[in-house]
Amino acid sequence: MSQTKPLQAGLRAGLQAITNTLEILSSIIIAIMMVLTFVDVIGRYLFASPIFGANEMISALLALAIFAGLGITNARDDHIVVELLDQRIRRISPRAYDVIIQLFSIIAMTLVAYVLLDMAIETLHQKARTFVLEIPLFAVAGSVSALAALSVISQVIGVYLRLTGDQAATPSGGAQ
Amino acid sequence: MTIAFVGFGALLLLCFLGFRVGFATLMVGFVGFAYLRGGGASLAMVGQQVFDDANNYNLSVIPLFVLMGVFIYRSDVSSDLYDSAYSVLGQMKGGLALATVLACGGFSAVCGSTLATAATMSKVAMPQMKAFNYSDKLAAGTIAAGGTLGIMIPPSVPLVIYGIIAEQDISQLFIAGILPGILLVALFMLAVMIAVRIDPDAAPPAEQLSAQRRKKARRGTIPVLILFIVVLGGIYGSVFTATEASGIGAIGAAMIALSRGHLRSLTQWRVCFVETAITTSKIFIVLFGAVVFAQFINLSGLPYDILDFVDDAQLSPMMLVLFITLIALLMGMVFESIGILVLLVPVFLPALSQAGVDMIWFGIVVVLVTEIGLITPPIGMNAFVVKSVLPDVKLGDIFRGITPFVVALMIGLVLVLTFPSIATLLPNTVR
Repeated sequence: MSQTKPLQAGLRAGLQAITNTLEILSSIIIAIMMVLTFVDVIGRYLFASPIFGANEMISALLALAIFAGLGITNARDDHIVVELLDQRIRRISPRAYDVIIQLFSIIAMTLVAYVLLDMAIETLHQKARTFVLEIPLFAVAGSVSALAALSVISQVIGVYLRLTGDQAATPSGGAQ
Repeated sequence: MTIAFVGFGALLLLCFLGFRVGFATLMVGFVGFAYLRGGGASLAMVGQQVFDDANNYNLSVIPLFVLMGVFIYRSDVSSDLYDSAYSVLGQMKGGLALATVLACGGFSAVCGSTLATAATMSKVAMPQMKAFNYSDKLAAGTIAAGGTLGIMIPPSVPLVIYGIIAEQDISQLFIAGILPGILLVALFMLAVMIAVRIDPDAAPPAEQLSAQRRKKARRGTIPVLILFIVVLGGIYGSVFTATEASGIGAIGAAMIALSRGHLRSLTQWRVCFVETAITTSKIFIVLFGAVVFAQFINLSGLPYDILDFVDDAQLSPMMLVLFITLIALLMGMVFESIGILVLLVPVFLPALSQAGVDMIWFGIVVVLVTEIGLITPPIGMNAFVVKSVLPDVKLGDIFRGITPFVVALMIGLVLVLTFPSIATLLPNTVR
């Protein structure tokens, strides 16, 4: 028990650091998306001068925003659930239920991270680039797969902390 | 076809057991596709689908409209919207409940979230109605039902999701949602009037608002009205696309929040951005699951078997739509709006297209059905949101109070089914 306490504290601090980083990252990405879309529209319609390649930048930012957000959502296990029978079934064996549900989520998220990594490697080999700005697709797919991997890590730590009864397992971050 | 039914069965079971909807849909789609085409092909398909959707410019409309809603939610504009409606309708019988419906409609038009509308209006409208001894049943029922307007009145995330799945123009869908949204507001107000006629004690008369408060409310409502007109007017007038409108809307909503004394610190901005990132990721993981599952269902041949069935049974387009509507109504008792769209639309898409069904109209029909699901037991998510904000109100009272609005929604559904032009009139003027 005395060994698990420092482990828990360390994991909690690690999870807090990850979610804080993801919160800052996702905030910056969404802020840029908002400003970029706005300036592009204003430039296009008022000055006939849209931002060159804005669509491609916004597309890449969207992918980054989703996977940065997923890290926070996974850490909190804040996903959409059909709340019909879950609590009744959970009552039978709460611990086994939580383990199964969370393990399934981790496997699914690992699958997503894996296929994105595979895609990143493939785009690197193909030297694929976006059409307008010629951004290497590897840069986008690689960043997204790295964020997906980070979200798996935050998911695993979050699950471990919740299963070991750490009440502070749901990281609040600076923004909450 | 059997494999598709096994897939649906597995998905329903996983969802009922409490597995996260997005992950369950994704995994069933992945395993089903792997069964039919092999693991390698399935891995490649999942990677392609997830990356393409995550990297899709048109889908940036989702985080930006979510952000617009978050800014509006945090700007406390709801109280002014409510007071504006109160100053117009407050003196009528059931005036505060009528004002609540109107304020919900107005808030939905710039917020786009049904849950946020229900939660906000619980805090804003309930104390007023309590102060004038409105019955809990009428007050809470009105708020829970009013919140559902958030998914019909644009901007609406379910309409965006439908547009992506059914490959329909999101701008057209938003425009199509305007008249049905107004119709539902009118029907909800009618439902309040009838409920008050049946039980006059449920809604005692309220006092007129002070001139100062009326003036403040008007001043607070005007920017919201302008934002709504700019965003939807811009889309309707083909000045800009839905994605561009979302950027304008987010900046406009931020300006409203700033002008009202909010967003004055970096922390406040960060709260809004993080909330947006979380909501966006929750929607997208379901969307990823949906597109993967749809690939599996398409490969299984189920949509084409349904197409053959429709041909053999000589179902008319309307019969087909009614059949799907019935399924959606049943699913609405369990699934929330995105879940219904994800499971239902891909399966029937070829049959609907072959039958020549107007897919914009059908989108409005499906979203209207999901609206009903938000306030009907056993899930009725909006009822639970109101309950969580107002723990003193009994859940039974909320559901009893909702009943007239369920009837109103059903009437709205019948009207939209009978007169498709309610949904198609406006989009046809800009097609």
